[in-house]
Amino acid sequence: MTFAARRWFAIVLTVVVAVAGSAVLLSRSMSLRGTAWESGWVLLAVLLFLASYNLRKKLTYPPLLSSATWLQLHVYVGVLSVILFGWHIGWRIPNGLLETAIAVVFVCVAASGVAGLALSRMIPGRLTVRGEEVLFERIPVYRRQLRERAEAVIVDSAQESGTDTLSDFYARRLADFFHGPRHAWRHVVQSTRPVTELLHELRSLERYLSDGERETLRELTELVQAKDNLDYHRTMQGMLKGWLFVHIPLTGVLLVLVGAHVVLVHAFAGASA
Amino acid sequence: MTDEDVARLLAIEPFSAMDPRNFPERVGLRGILRNDTRIRRYRNGTVVVRQGDYGNSAFLILAGSVRVILEGLDPKLVGRSERRRRSVIGSVARLITNPRSPESRDARRYPQMQRPADDQSPDAERAFVQDVNILRDFPAAFEQTTNDVMTTGELFGELAALGRIPRSATVVADGECELLEIRWQGLRDLRKYDAALRQHTDDRFRRFGLSAALRASPLLAGLSTELLEQVTSAAEFETYGSFDWYGTFQQLRKRDVDPLSAEPVIAEQGHYPNGLVLIRAGFARVSRKLGHGEQTFNYLGKGDVYGLAELVHNAGAAQPVPLASTLRAVGYVDVVRIPTRTFEQVILPNLPAGMRPPAALPVDPSGGGPTPSRPDRPGGHEGHGIDPPMLEFLVEHRFINGTATMMIDMDRCTRCDDCVRACASGHDNNPRFIRHGPTIGHHMIANACMHCADPVCMIGCPTGAIHRSEESGEVVINDLTCIGCGTCAASCPYDNIQMVEIRDRSSNDAIMIDPAQGKAIVKATKCDLCIDHHGGPACERACPHDALKRVDMRDLDSLARWLRR
Repeated sequence: MTFAARRWFAIVLTVVVAVAGSAVLLSRSMSLRGTAWESGWVLLAVLLFLASYNLRKKLTYPPLLSSATWLQLHVYVGVLSVILFGWHIGWRIPNGLLETAIAVVFVCVAASGVAGLALSRMIPGRLTVRGEEVLFERIPVYRRQLRERAEAVIVDSAQESGTDTLSDFYARRLADFFHGPRHAWRHVVQSTRPVTELLHELRSLERYLSDGERETLRELTELVQAKDNLDYHRTMQGMLKGWLFVHIPLTGVLLVLVGAHVVLVHAFAGASA
Repeated sequence: MTDEDVARLLAIEPFSAMDPRNFPERVGLRGILRNDTRIRRYRNGTVVVRQGDYGNSAFLILAGSVRVILEGLDPKLVGRSERRRRSVIGSVARLITNPRSPESRDARRYPQMQRPADDQSPDAERAFVQDVNILRDFPAAFEQTTNDVMTTGELFGELAALGRIPRSATVVADGECELLEIRWQGLRDLRKYDAALRQHTDDRFRRFGLSAALRASPLLAGLSTELLEQVTSAAEFETYGSFDWYGTFQQLRKRDVDPLSAEPVIAEQGHYPNGLVLIRAGFARVSRKLGHGEQTFNYLGKGDVYGLAELVHNAGAAQPVPLASTLRAVGYVDVVRIPTRTFEQVILPNLPAGMRPPAALPVDPSGGGPTPSRPDRPGGHEGHGIDPPMLEFLVEHRFINGTATMMIDMDRCTRCDDCVRACASGHDNNPRFIRHGPTIGHHMIANACMHCADPVCMIGCPTGAIHRSEESGEVVINDLTCIGCGTCAASCPYDNIQMVEIRDRSSNDAIMIDPAQGKAIVKATKCDLCIDHHGGPACERACPHDALKRVDMRDLDSLARWLRR
């Protein structure tokens, strides 16, 4: 099955389930029967199922369907959970402190999930066409190698040419650039302005250089480009990993709040009855 | 080999019957014996070759006898690992019981650790190798087997050495015996310059190897025994390329050399098809002239045929067509050529339904003969639809050798490393692959064992620790009999075998030291396709984005479907 066919199948199925579920809840509410009890328990089960995906990732070998199948279920059941949550709170903003907190955290979890899915679909392709493929953990090593190479090139050039045009520029503009990750926010918004400016400044030096220094300049230009690509990979790969540090802890918080909500609802159920 | 050894060999059959004048001066019979052979003495019960192993030498019995075990021998007796799939509960329990350090194991399992610490003899390591290679319970182990005895003057292992196919039997020294081990290069030269040896090996190949190879081809499935016999007697077998292709390949990778220049031509585009070429072992590139170069549009492996469409077209045709493509040996290729006359008289009238390509070939308007998009594989392979650049990449990097090549779609891969963690969780906390490797477009071939169709890593293992699993053919390493020599890791052309120091679980995960050697115990590790676990390769099942696939390069149609998702 192609990805497109799978996507259409899942969307249609999700819409059918959402419409059917909404119809059931609507008919119950129109007949003046409360829906909070049923929708609440179903929502709790759905939330536990969604949270269990992280557990599945740790259970590598038991035959529990592939992680890709789990992710598909996670995404589409997650969409259904938003609709179910809407029905559960009566499509209004809750007024109690705990309920408000649950609603806010739920929205944050859902939003971070949507954002994560979008990042997972958008970033990989961009990484593929920009620079060499690098392992995230190895980026500091590659960065150090680039810096050492750039410094060596500058020192050699200064010794051979006896002039300080390139070394001055390096000290003024490039030393900091090579020292650590740079322009992270620019990379987030896909802007290449900083490196374009840097390369432009490098090119403008060419008229003041000897033939030997021009060769150094060419190599330096390649190193600047490679460093920028490395920074891009660091930022993008960081985003691909980083969103989970929002989504997963918030899921934990949500489950704790929901647990408290369930206890409180049952504790006061007799009083309200 | 000393001068005395060579003189002794020249005095006995078959070398005494060879005419040294038939050998070129620069090689010489004496030179071949000196450089490509060695005399080896075996103790009673020593395993000479194991069934299923790949070897690059043949053996001539100089004195004594050996027992050839054809079937029925317990694989454990010859050092094969005993595979037991973990239970589901065991898999879950590993989450808790997994040690924190990588490669931490139970020291009591290793024979080296059982030797006394004061065993400082220089032969200590060799003694261990011999322990592994001595058949236990000998000769009682023979009782349930089908076996035969070979005696002085007989040659064995030459078909596996020349054809690069697995050894078909286990051979064990039957009493003290003396064997002459002949490297494949020496055997090739001896065959080349001595007609009698060539005749002898050809006859044996026709008798034992060729019939089986032909019978396995679906094209010949419709032939009676008599007709198959006719084909067998008419067939010629040829080898192309270098047996040590992996060494040449690694050199080529370092130097920027046109790979086509290093690939011998088996059949050339535009030439008259003089027979049906059946690939018996190895791989061949199918290419076609394009501009000033050649474009790869297919590759063939074991069991595939070349020239079928042209031969069918030419049978009785007023206007015969030449070959539409060039066939080149990628590394080492062993082919069987069935002459055109035999094909037309015996095979063509009996071609099974569905195997016959269209008789009228579409002709290239540019005048280059028939177009290449026609069946090359038995069963009517109608073109796989994989882009030529991808095919060029797969062939040039020799990834076509893989039966479980790890391919990653980098446009879907989020670099989450769930695949790496899943692998580590089932393999002593140390992933058996690196999520890195050559890329083409948005596809990467990661550094993971590909479980090659031609597993060069299996050549030269002194204890047979690296072997194919009996059940499903994965290339696996028996951790207990691996002596950490690194031969397999050095042979792997793809750098997919890692040598690791192992740790002692009972000693707070300290590096395990061989008491006799005083050195860290090293083991070869690689992907085993999670053979001990349920559900197949964990890496593939752990990928949340369907980005990772273990691809069998023999199945181009499946690969094409995966690429087009």
